[in-house]
Amino acid sequence: MNNNLIESRRRFIFGSALTLTGVITGFIGSNKALSELIYLDDDKITSLAPSIWVEITKDGIIIITVSRSEIGQGVRTSLPMILAEELDADWEQVKIIQAEADSKYGSQATGGSTSIRQLWQPLRVAGAQARKMLITSASLIWGIPEDDCYTDKSYVYEKNGSRKLAYKELIDKAITLPVPPANSVQLKNRAEYKIIGQTRENLDELDIVKGTAKFGSDFRIEGMKYATILRSPYVRGTLISYDDIETKKIKGVINTYRISEGIAVVADNSWSALEGRDALKANWNPGPLANVSSDDIRQAFLNKIGTLPNLPSNTSKSIEAIYEVPFLAHTTMEPMSAVAHFVDNKCEVWAGTQNPMGAKSAVASALGISQDNIKINVLISGGGFGRRLDSDYIAIAAKISKSAGVPILFFYTKEDDIKNDPYRATSIHAVKAGIDANGNPTGWIHKVISQGSVNAMNPEYNIPNINNLSDISDFGIRVGPWRSVDYTQVIYVNECLMDELAHLAGKDPFIFRYELARHNRLKNVLQIVSERSNWNTPLPQGQGKGIAAFVGYGAFIAHVIEVSISKEGKLKINKIYAVVDPGLAINPGNIKNQIMGAAIDALSTAINTEITLQNGQIRQSGFHNFRWLTMDEVPEFDIHIIETTDSPSGMGEVGFPSVTPALCNAIFNATGIRIRRLPTSKTSLVGVEEKKTRMNEFVDFQAYPMPFDSSFKLSIELKRWSRNYLDIKISDILGKIIAQSQLESNGTKFIGRFYLPALPSGTYYIIFSDNIESYSIPIIKN
Amino acid sequence: MMLNINNQVYEVEVDPNMPLLWVLRDILGLTGTKYGCGIGFCQSCNVLIDNFVEQSCLIPVKLLENKKVTTIEGLSSDGTHPLQKAWLELGVSQCGYCQPGQIMTASALLIKNPKPTEDEVINEMSGNICRCGTYYKIKEAILLASKG
Repeated sequence: MNNNLIESRRRFIFGSALTLTGVITGFIGSNKALSELIYLDDDKITSLAPSIWVEITKDGIIIITVSRSEIGQGVRTSLPMILAEELDADWEQVKIIQAEADSKYGSQATGGSTSIRQLWQPLRVAGAQARKMLITSASLIWGIPEDDCYTDKSYVYEKNGSRKLAYKELIDKAITLPVPPANSVQLKNRAEYKIIGQTRENLDELDIVKGTAKFGSDFRIEGMKYATILRSPYVRGTLISYDDIETKKIKGVINTYRISEGIAVVADNSWSALEGRDALKANWNPGPLANVSSDDIRQAFLNKIGTLPNLPSNTSKSIEAIYEVPFLAHTTMEPMSAVAHFVDNKCEVWAGTQNPMGAKSAVASALGISQDNIKINVLISGGGFGRRLDSDYIAIAAKISKSAGVPILFFYTKEDDIKNDPYRATSIHAVKAGIDANGNPTGWIHKVISQGSVNAMNPEYNIPNINNLSDISDFGIRVGPWRSVDYTQVIYVNECLMDELAHLAGKDPFIFRYELARHNRLKNVLQIVSERSNWNTPLPQGQGKGIAAFVGYGAFIAHVIEVSISKEGKLKINKIYAVVDPGLAINPGNIKNQIMGAAIDALSTAINTEITLQNGQIRQSGFHNFRWLTMDEVPEFDIHIIETTDSPSGMGEVGFPSVTPALCNAIFNATGIRIRRLPTSKTSLVGVEEKKTRMNEFVDFQAYPMPFDSSFKLSIELKRWSRNYLDIKISDILGKIIAQSQLESNGTKFIGRFYLPALPSGTYYIIFSDNIESYSIPIIKN
Repeated sequence: MMLNINNQVYEVEVDPNMPLLWVLRDILGLTGTKYGCGIGFCQSCNVLIDNFVEQSCLIPVKLLENKKVTTIEGLSSDGTHPLQKAWLELGVSQCGYCQPGQIMTASALLIKNPKPTEDEVINEMSGNICRCGTYYKIKEAILLASKG
């Protein structure tokens, strides 16, 4: 408790990571570990605050309010850049405040890459209004016309003289002036920009590298306890009863509470809460999905395809295919967590969230209290990717705090996070498309059946007779937004189908797209990516390149990906070329980071990951069986930004959709194998010729059963090997070693059994050497 | 028991089996060390123990008597460690959550091998997951720091 700080109306500014207090529940959660504590005393300081977005203090600090959430996409830097530009501020003086949930900011949902697009104009106007007031102040003080003044780096200068005044020296005058109407202020043109267009380092970077940045799970307040939850191991299962006798014996455990989501364990620290949770004995009703597995969902989808309409009669050749896309879990680095303090029918929350107002309404309905009695403080998030638009974890924290009567840090483990995620929807896409005798498209039919609500969308190319259809097969498995949402499925299908059509027409996939592209800006990015990637230069045998493009979030992007496929079918991603047209690039370095990160996001999910259901339970449980690429697996990048307009677009998601189809099209180019089912590791990339010849090189190789479920037996007999042991490694499709062992000889053969129950399904390789040659034999996990 | 963390001695009374991660975060308030997976796979929780990198989520605190623990907070108080400076110069972070773990892995590498090659950096860093995909910048920052 630290009430005197509220009473003195003082506010803390913590370096760049500024937190405004003013706390309804009577305590201050101060980020004491944060560096550079500055006190502002409202009694002494007058500041110019012409709008909710900016405040300029007499200390020369420019405080800009960020109303959208930082999830790694860089808004806590790029949004202030917009305002600072029109204010002509000295960037070094800019500090930021993270807005709490409040309807005065308009939408605060960080999703759909809307932050920059929706706040671009309001923030420019807010900067220009403040600047105008400062210029007017200087002109009044100097007795000269406003036109004879100009601004730069937080100073007003006299054009035809040597006088200058710092913004902070103009505050006393400026606060006596009316705020100029929004439509009266002159906005800068592109050529005048000094801050926009220059790469600015993330304002939180120093706190991040020092370990002092406060993510949601790092927040601590006095009297706070730690809570975990035991949830049903079955999707949509329900709790029958539980026994916490053993739990309560564990040191540090305070109590358990039954809430609608499961059994909450409250303890003095996270470890005790986890230990207490492990000791719970619970009986679950498995619920309606007890006998449902992923194959059943797939079959239900297939049953709904029905008969697709006919293509027009001028169609001379056509393709009919089914594409499949799995569930995915967001698995942010930081598992979901929130701090909540319920007291006197009021609740205060500190959390990483993409949806502060949604969190407020979720807490209100969870606790049955008015939204007026809820305060949501937004902290930086250890990744978002759409996961934090759902406020389930915040509502759980609030309920536990209410039950326990103390402030609670509630956290999911990584396993909880994966098993209770609002998944990226799974879908099946039945497609049919054709060309006429001249190789021109005649029609395009795309029917999506999903668990979720994925809708087919028109390709960004001039294709006649498009027919988009969709249907749902609902199993009640929770789904939610994903980075670039439905584009992840639909653009994968659309851009692969464009490649199939180009191949059918005997046309180059770049030329085919270029000629049919519906926008000049799309043509432009396709053209530039083809040039930068030397599209027309053929690659050697065993290598391939693929192209794909995407239009969305106000931007245009094209990708070329180059891959190598080994004789054994191993995939290596050699290089990614990306050309993006954002319109106006606000923070170019950050745009490149986003394009790179989104590509790695897309590649990881395209190659390795899926969420599967087995008898009502989610099979995946951690980063070990839901794998993200690591540094050794990522390709070289060539990212190029071209600016074609004066208004910016959304950059957080645009880099994702066209990566997956560019990869699949590259695999086709290298092998002739179409990847119509994700992840790609489900499709063997071994050429037909290769399968026949390899087996003669050693006397005998057997791995059975194959495909295997959780284990297989291996038996190898070699011609050229004299030792009594053999080192065996198992790699994934990218060549990363995921298991190793040594087999002993029983005289003539090396025999052993491999247990790999946690491995995700897909293609893997058994690797061994007979001293002369190294062998990689593909195996398949169900 | 007594713990030496960032050259400071702490006396803690906890379950001796409690992993170091939770002692740091919940008992001592050193929240720079992050919880990512809890099974030693993502390495967001990496710290140095006697200058070797370890996953603090796996190590019971009872094994740490007479050992020297270094966390991200102990690298420097002002962000002036060569790796922190390189991170700042190149603007590595996106969400930033994995970066303390990345920096700790890199710091162990530079202690044993002050001038690593690019391949040595990749080899050493390939256990650390970054969900935002900042790998290229991390690699560049380590190489930059090693030149400093």
